[in-house]
Amino acid sequence: MPTDAALFTPNLTGRDYTTPDLRAKLTGAARYAEDFRAEGMLACRLLTSPMPHARVARLDTRAAQGMPGVRAILTADELPPPADSVADSGATIKASPWAEPALSMEPLHQGAPVLAVAAVDDATAVAAIEAIEIEFAPLPFVTDPLDSLRPGGPDARTGGNVWLPPARAGEQAAVGRLKWTDEDFRAAGPGRLPMGKAAAEWSYGDVEAGFRQSALVLDESFVTPNVSHQALETRSTLAWWENGKLFLAAGTQSTIQTVPAIARWLNMDPKDIVFLSEYTGGGFGGKITASVSVIIPALLSRKANAPVMLRVTREEEQYIGRARPSLAGRMKAGFSPEGRLLALDLFVVQDNGPYEQQHDAAIAGRMGSLLYQPQAMRWRGVPVLTNTPVRGAQTAPGGLQVSAFMGPLLAKAARRLNLDPLDVCRINAPAGRAPVGPPRPDGTLNAATSAFVREALDKGAQAFRWGERRARPADAGTVRRGIGVATGCFVAGTVGFDGLFVITPEGRLRIHCGVGNLGTESFSDVQRVLADAMDVPWEACEILWGNTARHLPWSCISGGSQTIHSMSRAALAAALDARRKLVGIAAATLGGVPEDYDVGGGRVFRRGDGRGLSLGEAARRAIELGGAYDGHECPDDVHGMTRTAVAALAGQGLVAVARDAFPRDGQSYSYVAAFAEVELDTETGMYRITDFHAEADAGRVVHPRAFGGQMVGRSMLGIGHATTQKWFYDTRYGLPVAKRFHQTRPPTILSMPERFTWGAVGIPDPQTPVGARGIGEPPTGAACAAVLCALAHAMGDDAFIRAPVMADAVLAAMEPENGKNRANRPRGLSANV
Amino acid sequence: MCDHDAAMSRPAGMTRRQFIRSVIATGVVSFSVPLLPARGGAAARTAPGTVERLVTLTVNGMRRRVDVLPNETLAQTLRGKLGLTGVKVGCDRAECGACTVLVDDVPVYSCSTLTHSVLGKAILTVEGLASPGGELHPLQQGVLDEQGFQCGYCAPGFLMTALGYLKTNPDPTRQQLAHGVSGNLCRCQDYDKILTGLLRGAEYMRRG
Amino acid sequence: MATVRDGMPHFDLYQPDSVEDALALLDRLGRGAHMDDGTDGPLRAWVLAGGLDCLERFKDRIRRPSAVVDLARVGALRGVRREGDETVIGPMTTLAEVARHPDIRERFGLLAEAAAQVASPQIRNQGTLGGNLSQDARCWYYRGGWPCYRAGGNICYAAAPGAMNREHAVFGARRCVAVSPSDTAPALVALEARLVIRNAARTRMVAAEDYFLGPETDITRLTVLEPDDLLVEIRIPPTWAGTRFHFEKVRDRPVWDFALASIAAAMRQTGDRIDQARLVLGSVAARPWRLPQVEAALAGRPREEAADAADLAVRGAVPLAHNGYKVTLARNLARRAILGQPPGAPSLAMGASGLMGAPDPSPARQTGKEAS
Repeated sequence: MPTDAALFTPNLTGRDYTTPDLRAKLTGAARYAEDFRAEGMLACRLLTSPMPHARVARLDTRAAQGMPGVRAILTADELPPPADSVADSGATIKASPWAEPALSMEPLHQGAPVLAVAAVDDATAVAAIEAIEIEFAPLPFVTDPLDSLRPGGPDARTGGNVWLPPARAGEQAAVGRLKWTDEDFRAAGPGRLPMGKAAAEWSYGDVEAGFRQSALVLDESFVTPNVSHQALETRSTLAWWENGKLFLAAGTQSTIQTVPAIARWLNMDPKDIVFLSEYTGGGFGGKITASVSVIIPALLSRKANAPVMLRVTREEEQYIGRARPSLAGRMKAGFSPEGRLLALDLFVVQDNGPYEQQHDAAIAGRMGSLLYQPQAMRWRGVPVLTNTPVRGAQTAPGGLQVSAFMGPLLAKAARRLNLDPLDVCRINAPAGRAPVGPPRPDGTLNAATSAFVREALDKGAQAFRWGERRARPADAGTVRRGIGVATGCFVAGTVGFDGLFVITPEGRLRIHCGVGNLGTESFSDVQRVLADAMDVPWEACEILWGNTARHLPWSCISGGSQTIHSMSRAALAAALDARRKLVGIAAATLGGVPEDYDVGGGRVFRRGDGRGLSLGEAARRAIELGGAYDGHECPDDVHGMTRTAVAALAGQGLVAVARDAFPRDGQSYSYVAAFAEVELDTETGMYRITDFHAEADAGRVVHPRAFGGQMVGRSMLGIGHATTQKWFYDTRYGLPVAKRFHQTRPPTILSMPERFTWGAVGIPDPQTPVGARGIGEPPTGAACAAVLCALAHAMGDDAFIRAPVMADAVLAAMEPENGKNRANRPRGLSANV
Repeated sequence: MCDHDAAMSRPAGMTRRQFIRSVIATGVVSFSVPLLPARGGAAARTAPGTVERLVTLTVNGMRRRVDVLPNETLAQTLRGKLGLTGVKVGCDRAECGACTVLVDDVPVYSCSTLTHSVLGKAILTVEGLASPGGELHPLQQGVLDEQGFQCGYCAPGFLMTALGYLKTNPDPTRQQLAHGVSGNLCRCQDYDKILTGLLRGAEYMRRG
Repeated sequence: MATVRDGMPHFDLYQPDSVEDALALLDRLGRGAHMDDGTDGPLRAWVLAGGLDCLERFKDRIRRPSAVVDLARVGALRGVRREGDETVIGPMTTLAEVARHPDIRERFGLLAEAAAQVASPQIRNQGTLGGNLSQDARCWYYRGGWPCYRAGGNICYAAAPGAMNREHAVFGARRCVAVSPSDTAPALVALEARLVIRNAARTRMVAAEDYFLGPETDITRLTVLEPDDLLVEIRIPPTWAGTRFHFEKVRDRPVWDFALASIAAAMRQTGDRIDQARLVLGSVAARPWRLPQVEAALAGRPREEAADAADLAVRGAVPLAHNGYKVTLARNLARRAILGQPPGAPSLAMGASGLMGAPDPSPARQTGKEAS
């Protein structure tokens, strides 16, 4: 699609500005969920499971019930059955019996909520929980996916251990049982991931022929860590009821889309839910919509007939927050002498956690096919259930892991083939409308809307001075340097959402925004496009967000970095609707036909003589004219929730509302090329990242500072996976020993690379009229892999079998006799050691 | 497994009987801020030599009379009793810095400070930075001008730590300032923009 | 009964303003009353210094003292002074004050450096030297409330099959494999500091080396402090003033993290020859782990020649399943201390002097009022 200059002239778009939410964040005025207070508010605390898998054998709450100040106790039998849901396509999605319940008498991981108490204060609620008599009968548990796949290995759930795809078309995936044979494990040998029967697979091209033609075939295994999201704001929630309506204050990534999610959990009408979430203290995929922390206080509040605040502690957040699944990967890859990837056979075992199927393993296959463009590829995956905390999508789910798998592999291939790793990245990089797996039923592949990864690699290499660094002689002494380059990619946009704003009689633009505000600033950034398309100054715009009582339109979830793409299109669509209505009003008011008029400079005016109306005058006329002009009529193609909002706004001014119906051919992805240099002290195992550069291919940059914030922040997230963040488990008891920040080690400000720079190639995506794609996800995989490549460059290609690489791993690689080279130990392919 | 968990579920250091007794005494009077008992109950019994409950705190330049339990943290008092919810609690275990306030100009984790330990000292929270008329503190203005922070949950703590540090070193290098605020975690990891904003704020402060 | 790991239990709070009053309180409350049924042992008063170790344990509801004696108002326990040629530090002096105090920096930079590398700036502002020395073990089983030996039980979970013990002991473990987490303890042992302990009845002075206990002596505590004891002074003799020091702390993150291993060394040299040395490892045993065999091997030798003595540092080490790297690390740290190498290249020194956690560079702070 050509970018039509008449639709959109970037003026504010592409420039820095101060977002409307920032001042409150800096003065303490911003209210996050736990900052709310309500008259008569009760404190809610959870009784959680001490065991990885158990059945509650005895429960006696009488002593707690009888305590003064205890107002209500909520148990699992009081939960409503979750409702089926309806996809945007209209298809019914049946409520899954395998889904995470808010409370359970058969907890599937330590920290799983069993019941909840509401009391007049926190101390009383705590005392009540300690007064509850409860006995747990232990059940078999497993915390390592490979243990569960062994013959006779334990199942995380009584119904099975693996997510299996639907047996027949039209059915839903379900949990079943899958065990491998002893021979499967024996065949792998030490340090290699066994490959038994997969739960799902796909392929294209002739993989075996590709290997036969290859000059080099590598067979690598690697394990990525389980990493909790650990948003700084835990998922505390305040719930109260008024006249049959449920009010909730909670952090979320997606304001409007959270409402139907809550409605489904509670089996109630979305119209009866008001959701407040003006500020959210971080999400990273962990707060995409609702979770059990919203459901529990909602039900307790109804039962106790008082507002209920569930304050979620940091340790509880570790349990009922979300985490990225560890993936164990085995990659067989065949290369031409020039380093071209001729065939890739990727096998992935996923630590799924106990509940809903996670898609990291599958997405790893898809992103691998796009990012490295193998001429033939097979993907196989097994999502294995474990009795560990609940997983969820985390920034570039599957995308990060496949970069961590493949980045070091490409670098190793380069060294084996005596090539520059940069050239191997380059020769395999997607370009233009690059094909992407898995294959469609007819065997053909999907295509990306665009890719300019070579441009990013070239520009980045120049900024990083890759060639110069590569030419430097090898180090002598105990300090070693290593450099690495790697790429990352992820989904970066969806289509079909709604834009909505009102031109008020005062001539201002009141923009209704259903996007969550989790700090990426996209809720505001996309409106810059709207202001440009309306040719109004930013000061004329006001954004309403974070409260569903403010009549918000149907918006994308703020996950998968789709907002900047999806909602800039929706904003533009609404702006075009406003322009259509403005010229219509002008023609009806001043004579002539709409085509005689144009919109600009805060007016609608006739070309030629300039006669026209101010926006305020036009808004007043819209109210007089009624109908679609002031929202008394609403287009049919917008979402039902948007229609509800429009009905509420009718008569307030010129109501602009439209669904994004701009065409798009292909799937939208964004890409990052990352470059890292490490200095590693082989005597202590400590290292630091001295230089780091990330170069983005994410289309047009809408808000440079916010874009840079994503480039740095999401790179740091990937660097955390490469350097310090992981879980540790006691395998005998199936319990985590690392639960606090100082044990799970999120990066600090001093973990930053010494020099950190970023750039963007900035070529607009041709398949969206704004030209912008999302940037939140792809830096993670690129950064993680670039650092792993640099470490492998410093320490040797086979030094590390898992990420993160901490001092103990470096020292073990230096002196395998002391560390007994853990790659060769029985737990060598476990993530949590 | 069983013996382990049975033992784990028993609270250390207190019998159930005594514990429940103390709970019953811990005040069940209803009030609007339920995270802390405000008055009455066991905490009200004042053993000889123990601290007075009704105390005066100097917060953001104002003297505030407040009823403080012996086991109350400064973060609880500021948030729960004085409504200063700009003080954020991210971990409640001295591991994230979101709760940082200045006590006599020194940054401390208010989650890990007993309120009674800071009586008589000047406490400054993020709410005390801007002028009563709403004019931002130069440090806030610097961050605003550089669009520092993403989700903002760590922002108040970072601002207070930076202010405390800048009082000792008004013209730091970027690296020095990074060390100065290294006891604050940002999970959006917007560290680069945060430093840029704080440095600009430091510059505004030096210019007055 | 169900377990909750969040919520500070009630206690009576006492805030004496003199050492005498504090001692009287501890005499009255320190040993505490037994429980009605005697099953859970005595409840007793808890001495509160900076609070960073113990408030966490209270909030976790793992420690529930009936009374807390807060030393914040005991001015006599705070500050640094000279008594003759000894430097005397009050245990309530904050780690930040220790790290920037001119006398300590000039004469005992080893201690200043160790204090500067503790945790984070705020923790150094709040945490005290006495508290850092006297803090409890950080074994993640023990801190997590597992009923292990150290908690009065009859098993060490960290040494059992399937355990995760990358941060545990390689020396001196007996049943319990927890390590001393203190950064300043090895420095004070190296400097031959003496600690003055008082209770209502008597005053005693112990060598820093004897202040810390291994599990062979007492498996439930890391120091000799009795419930009614108060650490009142840390005295550093002039013995090692101004000699060559080496402090290095290896950790996963440059902020907050406890050491995987650390070393504090003091060496008296004539030219390049080491006349006398004290080397102490941290976080490898339940107490600061002195290396007498290395010290003996160094005496009288040029340091380049003596570097091999570092191998003696790890003689007798017994690694667990996941901490074999500590053996390598301990030897390397000893070697670097002997050679006097800067900890890695300057740019590499995560957690080493001059970069991470360096003493506050501001001269304004060095002359602050609290430095007196």
